Amino acid sequence: MISPPPDVAVQVRDLRKSYTVHEKDPGLMGSVRSFFNRRSHEVEAVKGVSFDLAPGEVVGFLGPNGAGKTTTLKMLSGLLHPTGGTARVAGFEPRKRETPFLKQITLVMGQKQQLIWDLPALDSFLVNQAIYEIPEAQYQATMREFTEVLGLEGILKKQVRKLSLGERMKCELAAALLHRPRVLFLDEPTIGLDVNMQESVRAFVRDYNQRFEATVILTSHYMADVTALARRILVIDAGQLVFDGDLASLAEQSSGGKRVRLQLRQPISLADLSRYGNDARIDGLSAELSVPRSEVSARAARLLADLDVADLTVEDPPIEAVMAELFGAGREKAAESVTGSVAASVA
Amino acid sequence: MTPFLRKFRILFSTQFALMTEYRAEIVIWMLSGTLSLIMMLVWMGQAAAAPGGQIRGFSASDFASYFLATWFVGQLLVVWVAWELDFEVRQGTLSPKLLRPLDPMWGHYSGHVAEKIVRFPIMLVLVSLFAWLAGARFSLDWRVYAAVLGLVVLGFTVRFLWEYSLGLLAFWTESSTSFQEVVWLVYAALGGLFAPLAFYPQWVQNIAVWTPFPYMLGLPANLIAGKATLEQAGQGALVLVGWLAVFILVRLMVWRVGLKKYGAVGA
Repeated sequence: MISPPPDVAVQVRDLRKSYTVHEKDPGLMGSVRSFFNRRSHEVEAVKGVSFDLAPGEVVGFLGPNGAGKTTTLKMLSGLLHPTGGTARVAGFEPRKRETPFLKQITLVMGQKQQLIWDLPALDSFLVNQAIYEIPEAQYQATMREFTEVLGLEGILKKQVRKLSLGERMKCELAAALLHRPRVLFLDEPTIGLDVNMQESVRAFVRDYNQRFEATVILTSHYMADVTALARRILVIDAGQLVFDGDLASLAEQSSGGKRVRLQLRQPISLADLSRYGNDARIDGLSAELSVPRSEVSARAARLLADLDVADLTVEDPPIEAVMAELFGAGREKAAESVTGSVAASVA
Repeated sequence: MTPFLRKFRILFSTQFALMTEYRAEIVIWMLSGTLSLIMMLVWMGQAAAAPGGQIRGFSASDFASYFLATWFVGQLLVVWVAWELDFEVRQGTLSPKLLRPLDPMWGHYSGHVAEKIVRFPIMLVLVSLFAWLAGARFSLDWRVYAAVLGLVVLGFTVRFLWEYSLGLLAFWTESSTSFQEVVWLVYAALGGLFAPLAFYPQWVQNIAVWTPFPYMLGLPANLIAGKATLEQAGQGALVLVGWLAVFILVRLMVWRVGLKKYGAVGA
């Protein structure tokens, strides 16, 4: 039985998690020393994180590797016991792992999770139907919907180990959502997938969120996932929440200003273009440059007045660039990810 | 059918399908567990060379019957859950199971039961072949086999629970399977895998009767070989029920405390 949605789907207060990590020097002597004197130290993976999520909200949870994203998700799904602070998800304390709580949540991590490797995915779905006590009519209806939206036709009776990565991910998602959870924790749900498959996973999550008003927390290194699905962003770095706001506000964190893109009718030299802003680039009749956020209107007006411009657009910097700046160039891998920027056309 | 039984039925049928996928591996695994058969040959050789052809009332044929029966019962008591748990805890693959509203133990238990059913027909063929080759004789009383079934179900469940508890030590240690190997040695020795318990010094026998081992392995084997009574089977079953209660509690306690230590690494 599913209880009515609470006013706050997820409530996190001063959540903390510490681990004891053992250390050993490499080589034979290191092993001998470690045998007699094992060194260890405490690592604070999450250092007092607080936030609330409303029912139906989709939130991008971003941060560099090792920032504490996955640890936080694992605490919210009841896998890890917090060292301190409190969390309530769908009205329950996750660490207690009560049955009504487990029936309302799901956590998707990677592509090898729920499915039984040597049997067809359909067998895993039947197991989940029994474990979650899903009525037959609901199971059939959900399976029909998922088969259509995710394109599962033809792959459900194949052994899981013979499925492609994308096919397996789609089956994992279906298995994880078969019981229609109200809170979804998605940890890198599109990692390793090709662009088309990433798009179909995004479309599926978007559709699920809208149909079931599910709360979704999403971590991804693909910024396109985040920009396509989430309006609100939480950024965690070194175990602490460093940003909580919408995408546009996140873009404003960048000190690099906005990016102006031009389509010209007449060619122009790089030196001439550089008079209007920084980091100018020209490729034939296409040009772009950065301008300070406070001077966007004035610079755009000057460009339109001085140059023969066919089209002009102003964009926020790509989210991955903002992230790279937030976390420091050496630590951030977000720049590796592909598409995604918040664009606002003024032309 | 209650919701729990429905869950167990689905888990069992899925695990049965899985075990039939591994049928070749199961046969190879069975053939690798030949310690009883080796001990049978050793003791048969000793009896044949002994004055009167007997050692403490056991002829070569009696040894064949006893050790083939221990092999048969031992096959039904095979438990590998400690290895699975050790892997799941250390690799983090326990995580998806923890997210579901059913104790992961039931998945393992149903998998073991399903494997026994896949194993059973092959065991019957092999034990018949070995019995014919070695000249073993087994009881023909159906009540004996009903008692053996009861002892095996109890013994298997007791062993499953202690192995489960040992596997859960992976929450604290780098590898819990080393504990499992030590306990296996005690199980094999006091269970009667190397020799019937009556062949051990009296003080060992006095200790063994307080453990579950003789009742789960040696007693059913002796019943099949015609060397134990149904009354002894009833007494053994009572001891096993006591141990079952103990290990249910131990498993639950280790599980609850261990989960707090779970690091959910990797997955």
